[in-house]
Amino acid sequence: MTSSQLEVLLQTVISGLLLGGLYALIGIGMTLIMGVMKIINLAHGELMMVGMYIAYVLFSWFHIDPYLSILIAAPALFVLGILLQKFLINPVMKVDAIIPENQVILTVGIGMVLANLATITFSSDYKTTPVDYATKAWYLSDIWKASPIELSLSLPWSVSFCFALMITAALWFFLSRTDMGKSIRATAQDKDAALLMGVNVEKMRVITFGLGSAIVGAAGCLFIPIYYLYPDLGGQFTLIAFVITILGGLGSTVGAIVGGLILGVFESLTSTYAGMGWAPVGRFMIFIAALIFVPGGIISLFKKRKFGK
Amino acid sequence: MRHLSVSLVVLLLAVFLGSNVFAGDTFDLVVPLPLTGKQAKFGEMMKKSYEIAAEEINAKGGIRKKKIALSFEDSGAKPETARSIVEKLIDTKKQPIIVGEYTSACAKAVAAVAEERKTPYLIVASADDDITQKNYKYVFRQNQVNAHYGDSVIDFIRQVVKPKTMAILYESSAFGTSGAEGMMKDAEKAGIKVLLKEKYEAGSVDFKPLLSKVKATRPDVIYMVSYVMDASLLMKQIKELRIDARLFAGGAAGFAIPEFIANAKDAAEYVITATLWTPQLKYPGAKEYSEKYKKKYGDYPSYHGASAYSALYVVKDALERAKDWTPDGIRTALKATNTMTAFGPVRFEDKEGYQNQNFIDTFVLQVIKGAHETIWPEKYASRKYIYPMLAWRERK
Repeated sequence: MTSSQLEVLLQTVISGLLLGGLYALIGIGMTLIMGVMKIINLAHGELMMVGMYIAYVLFSWFHIDPYLSILIAAPALFVLGILLQKFLINPVMKVDAIIPENQVILTVGIGMVLANLATITFSSDYKTTPVDYATKAWYLSDIWKASPIELSLSLPWSVSFCFALMITAALWFFLSRTDMGKSIRATAQDKDAALLMGVNVEKMRVITFGLGSAIVGAAGCLFIPIYYLYPDLGGQFTLIAFVITILGGLGSTVGAIVGGLILGVFESLTSTYAGMGWAPVGRFMIFIAALIFVPGGIISLFKKRKFGK
Repeated sequence: MRHLSVSLVVLLLAVFLGSNVFAGDTFDLVVPLPLTGKQAKFGEMMKKSYEIAAEEINAKGGIRKKKIALSFEDSGAKPETARSIVEKLIDTKKQPIIVGEYTSACAKAVAAVAEERKTPYLIVASADDDITQKNYKYVFRQNQVNAHYGDSVIDFIRQVVKPKTMAILYESSAFGTSGAEGMMKDAEKAGIKVLLKEKYEAGSVDFKPLLSKVKATRPDVIYMVSYVMDASLLMKQIKELRIDARLFAGGAAGFAIPEFIANAKDAAEYVITATLWTPQLKYPGAKEYSEKYKKKYGDYPSYHGASAYSALYVVKDALERAKDWTPDGIRTALKATNTMTAFGPVRFEDKEGYQNQNFIDTFVLQVIKGAHETIWPEKYASRKYIYPMLAWRERK
């Protein structure tokens, strides 16, 4: 392997890991909701879009850095999630409908409403938060002058990655060490048993939906400095979150992280070695492979250490 | 008696339906456009430009004393939606001419409907070559075809940059693919070796894997065909990876609009792009239009807007010359068009395998100090080009 081939490989893996970290954060919210409530939240990407618009408004009106706006966007999305769950999803879950999984269809509807509200409010123009550090990067050759290869590590991507890891760690701590977290996990494992043990299942569901929304809202804030924003952006990220959820295992935070990283690296490798047009194909190949070969998700492979499940 | 009343009703109906378009003293024109979805940005700009043109024409007494009543239908850049909108316009509203659409995929769908229903269709900004290569009689294109988009860019490259190698990146759409094909042929003709030709999916988040592969091949020129946001994302990530090609060139669309500079910021500096039109050109009305647009909407329009604006004047010109306002009457008049617009001269010719195609000069823009300047052909230049450019490391 020549040095330039090595450079391509390493750079690809670096980008893949950074991308995977962000994917993981998007996936965690969905996996949490799916684990506890057993419904697929197809408005997930749209919730992220809402978070991004909050970051955008804060940036362009008050010059608040997108990373700081997590502190506002995440609580706002938490409230939005609670309201959605309380007044829309819960009533529908209780009804015996003609169509099965009618809550899933409801979430699709919620997603459409959110996307169209965004179009009406912000028009369908692309929005960005042009931060000064958008193209800052660290270079290997700056640190190590004689380096035979050149690698770069983007500042905003790395910051987003670190934030993503921190949020995930905080969530893991919450789920495994706090009373409420344990109640949420109990609800996820067995709703009826949890009910008998005195867990307020209804409340846990509401909180979980809020939490899932808050996390994906935070993911939106981390995404906007490196990407851009338009009302219809949700769909593609819902899809990614869905793939990660299936890949990682329903309701598993650790599974979501591992799944996100695998997806990120795999996508990057396909982009480099098979061509970028193949990246979506790669994504769905992983999805199908996961369904066939590891139906329980990656987490089922390390059965003995079930974090946050 | 009964027979008579039936035929009377039929007659009345026919008159009622048939005269729908010309009822009163307005000429109804419904324009299909992408107003939502990823291409909405361009749709909006074109909508605003059609409106400016309609206002001007109406203020001067309209077309044969009929005011243009303009309205828009959103196709969301989806070919099937565009198709059904136009079917409705032709079949039920009996609109005798279709103007509009943006993406090549939509324009293709609309062109097929228009040809089938024998209604003239004026394409405004869709560039895929084969739309006007299908022996369609009723399809006219005002903008230059994709194969010629790069003409002035390749001319600039040959005369100034004189590269040996090139990498081509393009989005996997009709526009991207045909743009890349066109450049590939041009490059081969100019003796430039194409080291890499890779497509990507529009809306991708991370181009770095692809770009690091490009970096490893060390091309002299990187040519990219992209719509709006991918263009700035590509340049930002090229800066991040410090890929030092001798020239970064874009194939119009995403690179030629002001948002490119606003989003890519300093990463956009020195990037050249093909364009069909710039506000700095000395076509009659070009300056007035762009100033009016800027005053109203705060920014200069790109060629998409100018083409839309001028399209309405082309329609006006054709309608004024047309014997009658039937689809065939208008088609004959369109075919004989020879007019000057803010977008440049418009004449629909049959040559090089194209039919009803308007061939006009294309231009090269370069981002200099955060603004698009016309640099090529030199007789149109608003500023001297900057070449060679600084390596990323030496830029602040």
